[in-house]
Amino acid sequence: MSHDAATKKYAQNAASAIKDEILQKALNKIQSGLGKATALSYQNLDEGPDLRLAAHDIREKTINNLDVVLTRLAAKIRENGGRVYFARTGEQAVEYCLKIARQHHVKQVVKGKSMVTEEIRLNPAFEARGIEVNETDLGEYIIQLAGEKPSHIIAPAAHKTRQQVGRLFERKLGVPYTEDPPELTRIARKALREKFLTADMGISGCNLACAQTGHITVVSNEGNIRMATTLPKVHVAIMGMERVVPNLEDHDILFRLLSRGAAAQKLGGCVSYIGGPAGPEFPDGPEEFHLVILDNGRSRILADPKFREILCCIRCSACLNVCPVYGKIGGHAYDATYCGPIGAVLTPLMEGMNQAKDLCLGESLCGACQQACSVNIDLPRMLLELRYRLAYGDDQWETQPVSVAEKTIHQAWAFLAGHPALYRAFLRTFALGQKIFPTSRGMITKMPGPGAGWTRSRDIQPLSQTPFRKRFKKLNAKKAHG
Amino acid sequence: MQTNTTETQFIKTLRTALGIGQESAGARAAKIFTDPKDPSPEQAAIVKTIKSRRDKDHMALLHHLSREAVPLNLNVIPVKDKAQVSKAIANLVKETGPEWGAKKSVVQWDHPLVNALDLKTALKDQNVPVHTAAFDTTGMDDLTRSKARDRVRRQMIDSYIGVTSADFCLADTATLVMKSRPKEARAVSLLPSIHVAVIGKEQMLTNLKELYALLKYDPETREAELLPHHMTLISGPSKTADIELVMVHGAHGPRKLYLYVITG
Ligand code: SF4
Repeated sequence: MSHDAATKKYAQNAASAIKDEILQKALNKIQSGLGKATALSYQNLDEGPDLRLAAHDIREKTINNLDVVLTRLAAKIRENGGRVYFARTGEQAVEYCLKIARQHHVKQVVKGKSMVTEEIRLNPAFEARGIEVNETDLGEYIIQLAGEKPSHIIAPAAHKTRQQVGRLFERKLGVPYTEDPPELTRIARKALREKFLTADMGISGCNLACAQTGHITVVSNEGNIRMATTLPKVHVAIMGMERVVPNLEDHDILFRLLSRGAAAQKLGGCVSYIGGPAGPEFPDGPEEFHLVILDNGRSRILADPKFREILCCIRCSACLNVCPVYGKIGGHAYDATYCGPIGAVLTPLMEGMNQAKDLCLGESLCGACQQACSVNIDLPRMLLELRYRLAYGDDQWETQPVSVAEKTIHQAWAFLAGHPALYRAFLRTFALGQKIFPTSRGMITKMPGPGAGWTRSRDIQPLSQTPFRKRFKKLNAKKAHG
Repeated sequence: MQTNTTETQFIKTLRTALGIGQESAGARAAKIFTDPKDPSPEQAAIVKTIKSRRDKDHMALLHHLSREAVPLNLNVIPVKDKAQVSKAIANLVKETGPEWGAKKSVVQWDHPLVNALDLKTALKDQNVPVHTAAFDTTGMDDLTRSKARDRVRRQMIDSYIGVTSADFCLADTATLVMKSRPKEARAVSLLPSIHVAVIGKEQMLTNLKELYALLKYDPETREAELLPHHMTLISGPSKTADIELVMVHGAHGPRKLYLYVITG
């Protein structure tokens, strides 16, 4: 897609999302409920909300030593009989998973919710080879049946009403229509139990690994991930290479913050620590365990000191729940694996700054995301940094300086600002000239030429007839006299 | 080996990105990983606190647990002795029915505390079979083993109540901690619709921090057993809020969870 087409699509997606009443209601519910509850849950931490800062330090230390941390994790898992595969690209990761599937003649896969498998487009690759893939998180299951994409990291079907889900189940599962959430949940429970019991392979992501003990941990409130990682004969877990901490005591801090950031919970409902296959002496559990550690563009981010901080992210999704932009346009408008503030920073870095530039330009820089972030990531700083690279060009990220016209305007402005007399003359002329623009309630409502972009969706304050300089002088004079 | 080349390359890429060399790896590892044999004063203090707990402290934790369990839909039931638990389970079997099949059966771990409940006898007059999801693999060939696994799996699928113990219970989050062991099949607490767990009150801990301190820094715990290949934490029965953010209990796995704590 060309850049202009991408911009157009982003704007169109956003516009239709804003008009979608169902979506607006759902977004409102998420943000007013979860957003507030999460903030409160940080306050209620035993150590107080500053634990977020300690967590940030741990994450930073981990990322800065990722080579030794991952080496230890891999060694430990191999010691426990697990296999570890390091994948440079998403394709390599998918290829590896397919290879295991072939070895075991896998016909059917059950999956735990995992964003990284969305990132590497695992499902379509499996389906193309005739392997049935079943999402087992209720939200993901709904999305999969509907043939859509998740709109929120942890509440993927938040944009659907119970009536829509009821009709979907009626159509796809051949059950009588109901719009009762407990009844709908029961229907999915039954359908998925069959899948769990017949699947030959379980695939999961990884919320947070602990290198020292050699375990990945996966969390779900539904218990579906426990099912998917216990019942099939083979379990493959895929983790973004940054999703790890060195020690158990680090895991404690990060894990508690993850639970709070994600769902305002003290601890996720069901947590599995997995460090290897169940040996021959065990009566159940997968007999084979594979861990795929994925780069897929992350090392490029690691190499840029200004963006490295984004690898501290633990994908709790708390930033989505407070972001005013996400709160209006929803997850789909971002048209990327990761949405909201985290997506606005991550997507340009992973999929190309030029292609995804609108995502970072679209955010408001209000700073709510950093305050909500379970590990206090300075997302606004990185949004600005992205804009800087886009404006001034950066070979590393293949961006070119923006248009000559814009640059000339900025240069002219700089020149004016450096010459007070000229500057004053310019302002005076403009203050007079602006009278030709239509106004309403003291605001300019329409401007021509390049100014039209601004006034299309908002008004602009006219220049004051008496400049501040003059008023300030007057004030000072008054003070001196009085 | 293919895997190793990719790993070496992968790690090398990371080092290049970080602008650091391999030489420093050892020193950096020593700095970033804490040593189980050398706890920080804070961690040592946590272990000491746990070890010095007496009856009344455990009762206080149990009290705390009972409060935290309510919003999570976990039923915590303090009982005097094992006989009370057997009786309670017999009652539960009487009053409830299976979700999937028509026939009632119960499955349990091969665990001293669970065995001591003598559920076979307790459920005899109701004619409900009790399966033990375990088998001895010593000297078994692959085929026999795989058949034994299939049999145990079938029992866990068919049973509507699963009875387990746990290693610890964390009061602050109402969490059961279960390490995997050969006689303690994972799916006993997963496939049946009702999960019943039985522990003694001395198995109570405060929170995750205490659990980790004990697992990592307590020489006794470590010597007895290192963290196995699998461990589960369960805080109440399964739940979901994926349809219009309405909370529903029982998405997958047990819909009800009863925890009996023997106060002795
Ligand atoms: S940026 Fe922070 S708040 Fe957003 S998903 Fe990542 S860790 Fe959570």
